[in-house]
Amino acid sequence: MKHEQMSGGHRAVNAGCAKTTLRRAQGGVLSAIRGPSDFASCLLGIGLAIIFSLSACSNDPYPPEDGEAKVLYSSFDAAPRTLDPATAYTTKAHSVTGVVYDTLLKYHFLKRPLELMPGLAVDLPLVTPLEGGRTRYRFTLREDLLFADDDCFELNGEGRRTREIVSADIAFQLMRLADPLIGSPVAETFANIDGFVEFAAALEAYREEDPAFADLAAHEQYAAAGGVRGIEMPSRYVLDITLHRAYPQIKYWFAMEFTTPVPWEAIAYYTGQDGRPRFDDHPVGAGPFVLSEYDKQSRYVLSKNPNWYGVRHPEWKAPAAIFPTEGDEEDRRSGRMAYAGRSLPLIDRVVVVREKESIPRFNKFLQGYYDASGVIKESFDSVIQGDGLSAEMEGLGMRLGKAVSPDVFYIGFNMNDEVVGRSNGESSRKIRQAMSLAVDSEEFLRIFQNGRGVPAQSPLPPGIYGYESGYENTFRRPNIERAKELMTEAGYQNGIDPTTGEALTLTFDTSSTSTAGLNQVRFYTNAWRQLGIDVQIDGTTYNQFQEKLRQGDYQIFQFGWVADYPDPENFLFLLWSKMGKSDFGGPNATNFSDARFDELFVSMKARDNGPQRIAEIEEMLSILERERPWIELFHREDYSLYQGWVKNVKPMGLSIPTYQYRDIDPTSRSDKRKAWNEPVQWPAYLLLLAGVMVIVPGVLTYFKERQ
Amino acid sequence: MSWLEPHILSNLVTLGLLAGLVFAARVVRAQRLWREAAVELWRRRRFAILVVGVYLLIGLADSVSWTGGVPDDAVGVLPNAPLSVLDRAFLDSREASYSAPFAAVEFYGGDALRHPGGHPLGTDILGRDVFYLSLKGARVALLIGGLTSLIAIPLALLFGVCAGYFGGRFDDFVFFLISTMASMPSLLLLIALIMVMGRSTFSVCIALAVTGWVGFCRLTRAETLKLRELDYIQAARALGVSEAKIIFRHILPNLAHLIVITFVLMFSGLVLSEAVLSWLGIGVDGSWGQMIDGARDELSRQPVVWWNIAAAGSALFGLILAVNSVGDAVRDVLDPRTARES
Amino acid sequence: MGAYVLRRLGYGVGVVLGVLFLLFLLFFTITAPEDIARKALGDKAPPEAIQTWLENHEYDRPLWPWQDWDENLLFDHYRKMLTFDFGVSDADDSPIIDRIKAGMGPSLSLTVPLLVLGLFVSIPLSLLVAFFRETYIDRMGVFLCVLAMSVSTLLYIIGAQFLIGKVLRWYPISGFDASLAMLPRFLALPVLVGLISGVGGDVRFYRTVFLEESSRDFVRTARAKGAGEARIMIFHVLRNAMIPILTRVVLAIPFLFMGALLLEAFFGIPGLGSMTVDAIQSNDFSTMRTMVYIGSLLFVFGQVATDISYGLVDPRVSVE
Repeated sequence: MKHEQMSGGHRAVNAGCAKTTLRRAQGGVLSAIRGPSDFASCLLGIGLAIIFSLSACSNDPYPPEDGEAKVLYSSFDAAPRTLDPATAYTTKAHSVTGVVYDTLLKYHFLKRPLELMPGLAVDLPLVTPLEGGRTRYRFTLREDLLFADDDCFELNGEGRRTREIVSADIAFQLMRLADPLIGSPVAETFANIDGFVEFAAALEAYREEDPAFADLAAHEQYAAAGGVRGIEMPSRYVLDITLHRAYPQIKYWFAMEFTTPVPWEAIAYYTGQDGRPRFDDHPVGAGPFVLSEYDKQSRYVLSKNPNWYGVRHPEWKAPAAIFPTEGDEEDRRSGRMAYAGRSLPLIDRVVVVREKESIPRFNKFLQGYYDASGVIKESFDSVIQGDGLSAEMEGLGMRLGKAVSPDVFYIGFNMNDEVVGRSNGESSRKIRQAMSLAVDSEEFLRIFQNGRGVPAQSPLPPGIYGYESGYENTFRRPNIERAKELMTEAGYQNGIDPTTGEALTLTFDTSSTSTAGLNQVRFYTNAWRQLGIDVQIDGTTYNQFQEKLRQGDYQIFQFGWVADYPDPENFLFLLWSKMGKSDFGGPNATNFSDARFDELFVSMKARDNGPQRIAEIEEMLSILERERPWIELFHREDYSLYQGWVKNVKPMGLSIPTYQYRDIDPTSRSDKRKAWNEPVQWPAYLLLLAGVMVIVPGVLTYFKERQ
Repeated sequence: MSWLEPHILSNLVTLGLLAGLVFAARVVRAQRLWREAAVELWRRRRFAILVVGVYLLIGLADSVSWTGGVPDDAVGVLPNAPLSVLDRAFLDSREASYSAPFAAVEFYGGDALRHPGGHPLGTDILGRDVFYLSLKGARVALLIGGLTSLIAIPLALLFGVCAGYFGGRFDDFVFFLISTMASMPSLLLLIALIMVMGRSTFSVCIALAVTGWVGFCRLTRAETLKLRELDYIQAARALGVSEAKIIFRHILPNLAHLIVITFVLMFSGLVLSEAVLSWLGIGVDGSWGQMIDGARDELSRQPVVWWNIAAAGSALFGLILAVNSVGDAVRDVLDPRTARES
Repeated sequence: MGAYVLRRLGYGVGVVLGVLFLLFLLFFTITAPEDIARKALGDKAPPEAIQTWLENHEYDRPLWPWQDWDENLLFDHYRKMLTFDFGVSDADDSPIIDRIKAGMGPSLSLTVPLLVLGLFVSIPLSLLVAFFRETYIDRMGVFLCVLAMSVSTLLYIIGAQFLIGKVLRWYPISGFDASLAMLPRFLALPVLVGLISGVGGDVRFYRTVFLEESSRDFVRTARAKGAGEARIMIFHVLRNAMIPILTRVVLAIPFLFMGALLLEAFFGIPGLGSMTVDAIQSNDFSTMRTMVYIGSLLFVFGQVATDISYGLVDPRVSVE
């Protein structure tokens, strides 16, 4: 085909020149002018073609919209590795699994701080203390709940491929969490369930002993291994969970997709063989949406699930299936309360398009092609003024949502290290304190986050029990003078290491080697340089970084932690010695270990909220303040920007998607899109003019020169 | 303080390179052919050669460093740290964050600067003087181009000349190796090499050299094959002159023009490749490529932070343009025949 | 003749085997499969899960044949690559062959127009420059070419997205849609950038080709006979320059399938180029080595095909 076009082009040029030869007979000068003007006319043709294509062009990235369906447009940067609710543990995975799967409990959409309410369950669990420190949680499932239609189910009586959800489906998923083959990242948490660990061990033993056992389907294996002692199903709709030790936080886990009902049929069917996708890429759930199209490279679509109980039984007025009726002043002002009592979901479809780079994404948002967006730091100053939106954005009808995210970013010291760690005793503590005093979080936030975020005083972010807004960490208020004194006290006057006579040299390990990422690390190392400490940045690949962590071969690093659920235990466990990286492979990468801290942690963990718990938390924070295994940096503040036609955006933190509550006004959207995207055409004409102005004198000069 | 401190090593290497340059200049002066070529080159591309010279001088100013002599009150300077001439010229030029060229206040926020009007190209996000960073990039670019060529060209010569001269099994092997390497997509091979070697200036140079030597090796091999058949070399062999002597006295001098041409033409390609690597997050610290990569986001800031990308982009562009145009002339002057290659 | 074809084919096969060996050295001996597993499964993955992962990806065996003749990674590597059994991605377990099939279309839809338009732009331009040789248009043209070549592609892309996508709003800044109605809209900008960044080198190359041809004897003869300059350029010079031009094009064709790394990544085109970038960023070694292998395979294939067709056209070649 290409060859054809080539010769076609060739022929056209030939035709032009045939004329030239004809004229040649009439006079030399004329013929010479004919030749180059062919080139000129050719260029003119190209120019005209550009103009025609320009007048037909548009920057609309979507095909024309279909009918009256309410479609929300969003974006993703890279597809999650897995959508299996037992292993998916990232924000981008949760933005799909959070609406495709439904859970026994849900968080109230409007109330802050977050509050649990029943979801698939009829009510909150009935908690009964048993003998021996054990506790039983009884959940009662709603009746007549259905899974989404899917090929993995047998045809039922009505000729549809679905099935009722029963308590055994949740029990099945809990057992999957224990399954060592699945390798759930939260197995540790659910080990609080009586018999959970024994079940995992039994499963493994059976598999090793009997190859035939390993070939059975997962649900058959679980049944044959005898199930988990602490998970019982007294009836079709009742589920009893027994914990062998106190762990009040377990209730939050029943609002996460780890405990969603999963049909065994889907696990047996979606194995990745015989042309069927893997379960990781084909969720089968009971949430308000189904994943109706999934192309990891370019886009996915979430469509309203007709089998969801909110759609099938609006008359139930189930709390998680209607728009909440209770809200605060801000909710009333923003018009959210007008939706009170409406059945969910309010939209029909969510189209999520792949967008790898943040700037094109934000620009498309500004052009009206995405409905909501974070505020990227690059555009912050034009979008935000003072506390609110800029006049320009207000004029476009945009709106802004702000929320402090339940997370903490910190710099950690490896406490097993010989220089900054505990073996260097008082001296290392003073170095850590001095380094903590040198890092100015407020300045960091100003430079890199446009001031979005709260400088952290302790691991606990606002909105988490135990956070006190008045608490000030003495080592987190920048003070270079005091820091220098501490360095002298530590034996490193002006940062000079007395043994070598040169600057104390430390290493900061990071796996973010992008230019922007390195700049952030340089901010810290510049700060420490003021104390005379030479901190080298060692940028490695993720693999090499993990390898270093495993081997304990690191000194300083930076991490962030986003809460799973709103409880202080979910932050302070990061410093519990039982979670130590080197000894137990846990998330405590500092390897911090303090007997008193551990004691307080174990006690605080099991306690209900109250003055005693507060006292324990306070003492733990004061230990951290003194010991400085962390330099707490900040808690992020999420700014989300949304178009005027999008209703009911209220961020919840904890990476919980809220598509079912959103609503849009498609007419307003298409009007605005049209108005915002008129192409600017005059430069094309200008370009053409410039081209002509370059060529014509050039041609003229040529002939002058030849004569 | 030992003699193997990195900065002393770097000073020694710089000294060695300077000596090499002086030696090369003497050789050029001594031989009529080369001298005439140099004169012709200077006549054709005076300006471009001067530009390259300026870049070299800047690189040189950043390569010679020593410790001490720093005032105690200089902010953010480590005691005992080696500083180059360039570092010393811009000592204590740091601000808090962005500022526009010649501005008196910070770009965002409007706080007063420590050196109002003192930054001809503004400052970057960390408050570093952009003029200083752009100048520092010259050394990195020269290092990438120079070090890589220093690895790749001898490697290619060794294999190419030996294969061409001795022929036989070794030639078969080299030819096979060249074909194999040449058939792998070079950018992918480059990335794969850096992925497995880890990320550092040296490994980037090695990877660039490994992917870059093939073409030149092919060229030297073909040229040596031709030279070997020439009468006077055949005669020398018949007279029993040793192989090493023939290679060093007769073959290599006849390849010299190819070496010069390849070096100049390869140089710009290498520096541009590094910019792509920087975008992939595996570039060299402090390169213009990294500055451009970082500035990508800044172009979307509002108001736009343009001076960073403008400075890095034009510094890169200036060097490449000058080298390319010198390269063109070098090729025309030294070897009109190969003008068609690449 | 037959012997020549066989020899060329044999050599091509040898080169492919050599490429595979280099790939093996690069990807198997230096990075331990356990690390890839840990990266893929996350930090908290228990040892059992890692073991399962290694088994599923068939990494759980020794490297060299002398360690275990029946089951070793080297033989596996050769067997799988030669039978086009690329296995699954190290990063997300999706079959690589499926992704290659899916990526080929978008890649070709970018690179084919780029190649064709590139020829249509650079050949007339270089003819023009050669036509005006030794005048200021020629010098200007060559200078502009060197200028265009000296700008980093990154700068072109960033500039075009900023100017044409954002300020002028002519085309979408990035994105892709395979439907015929939407496709040109998305391709306009990347093709334009690709053209501009490539045109300098191309024009310079073709100009030298044309100049070389135009200094030949037959051109002088034609001129002596009184043929017009434009006629000479097109009838004599262009026609005789077709062989080097076609050689260049034929050698470029295999790489069309590989896509354009930078353009695809920046403009969000889900082709093989952006797939490669993803693989780089997620340390997806199995995809990386597959891509290098396919690239080499296509290159060798293109070369052998060109050589053999030369041999068919010109018998002297096969004797050499």
